[in-house]
Amino acid sequence: MPVKWVLHWQPNQGSTVSSQILNEATQCVESINGVKEGRWKATLNYYKPLLRDQTNQAEFPRDFLGISLADQPNKYYFIIRSQRIVLEADSSIQLIMERLQSYKSKVALYFEGFQYQLGDFRLRVGKVVPTHSENVRGIVMEVEYLPISSMEKSRKVMEEFLEIWHEALSKRSLPGKFVNIDLNFGEFGLGDNYTPQHTAVRYALVMAHMIATVQAVRG
Amino acid sequence: MECVVQGIIETQHVEALEILLQGLCGVQRERLRVHELCLKSGPSLGVVPSEVRLLCDLDQPDPTWTVKHVGGAMRGPGADQISVMVRTLIESKVSKNALRMFYALGYKLDHELLKVGFAFHFQRTANISVSVSSVNKMPKVHAIDEAVPVTPGMQIVDVTAPATPANYSEVAAAVSSFCEFLAPLVHLSKPFISTGVVPTAAAAAASLMSDGGGTAL
Repeated sequence: MPVKWVLHWQPNQGSTVSSQILNEATQCVESINGVKEGRWKATLNYYKPLLRDQTNQAEFPRDFLGISLADQPNKYYFIIRSQRIVLEADSSIQLIMERLQSYKSKVALYFEGFQYQLGDFRLRVGKVVPTHSENVRGIVMEVEYLPISSMEKSRKVMEEFLEIWHEALSKRSLPGKFVNIDLNFGEFGLGDNYTPQHTAVRYALVMAHMIATVQAVRG
Repeated sequence: MECVVQGIIETQHVEALEILLQGLCGVQRERLRVHELCLKSGPSLGVVPSEVRLLCDLDQPDPTWTVKHVGGAMRGPGADQISVMVRTLIESKVSKNALRMFYALGYKLDHELLKVGFAFHFQRTANISVSVSSVNKMPKVHAIDEAVPVTPGMQIVDVTAPATPANYSEVAAAVSSFCEFLAPLVHLSKPFISTGVVPTAAAAAASLMSDGGGTAL
């Protein structure tokens, strides 16, 4: 599977994320000759334990996420980032979780936007919104390099692409930047060959950073 | 959802049953070597206590994992009239660290078993699976290589078929009808309602074995 980086929008201190920034980013892709291919959507769920005794809450993970990816319509991914766990399952695992009645999805988010082809790259730019709201909570951008599956071998070309992207975007003087977070996939039991599980872990990390940013702004 | 019946057979008659099944099913038998882990929710977790099964297929070069949730059986007068159990069943293939994830979520290992035997999967109105296996327990946690039979000399026969709310009657009928062919060797009934071994199984087995398995059924 092609290597993919997942960037998220990091607003400058004092500024917030909005649909306008998404529009600018989308227009920027088109300005560097990205060819629009259509829409994309991913869904993320935060799960909380249902407890008969609330005093034991600390025993259970606070960062249990589930995500369905646009590329893998029949699969579902669970991540417990604090314990470096990522699991790929059939979509039916969601029904199993419902039947177990031990965990419930408390917050659900959509990642949605447009997908572009740009030479050997596939780009997806999208907003992060709660499922029953249009309130933009963040912006993400997937950068996929189609010819290569090895993360090490693709690193240089991805970094070069991002330099071009940052330069193109900087002309729009937006109050923030797209950030890529490096992480040690080995801790999650994942190797150099890229898989959808890598993407799931990336999204979990992006969410953690976005939450930290929001909390910092509020603080 | 699935339709399911179970029965027991003495190990000495398993070979005869295999010959019978080979003739009936018309497909190659598959080896069965499955490590089944039954997990239960910890004391305070969940609206109600819950149970989930993890199955590891050890017969593959790279073991594959499945999560299985078995729900309640259909009840009531309608269910009583059907000779097979109809129950909800949801399965999901999962990557290999499912056990670690469920432990992290607060599930505990209740018991584990190793099932070793063979299975036939074929189509007869419904997709029917027949498995014949010895059920083995482990003296230490996950000690598959040290597993010993729970009931030496006896094996379990499972017949299952996936079903939907719309077709479970037809599937149940197909399973019942198929089970009648196995009646000389094994009596199949709803799980937890055991009818014991077939008293005349020895004679039936002898007949099948002496036939060399070559007679078409």
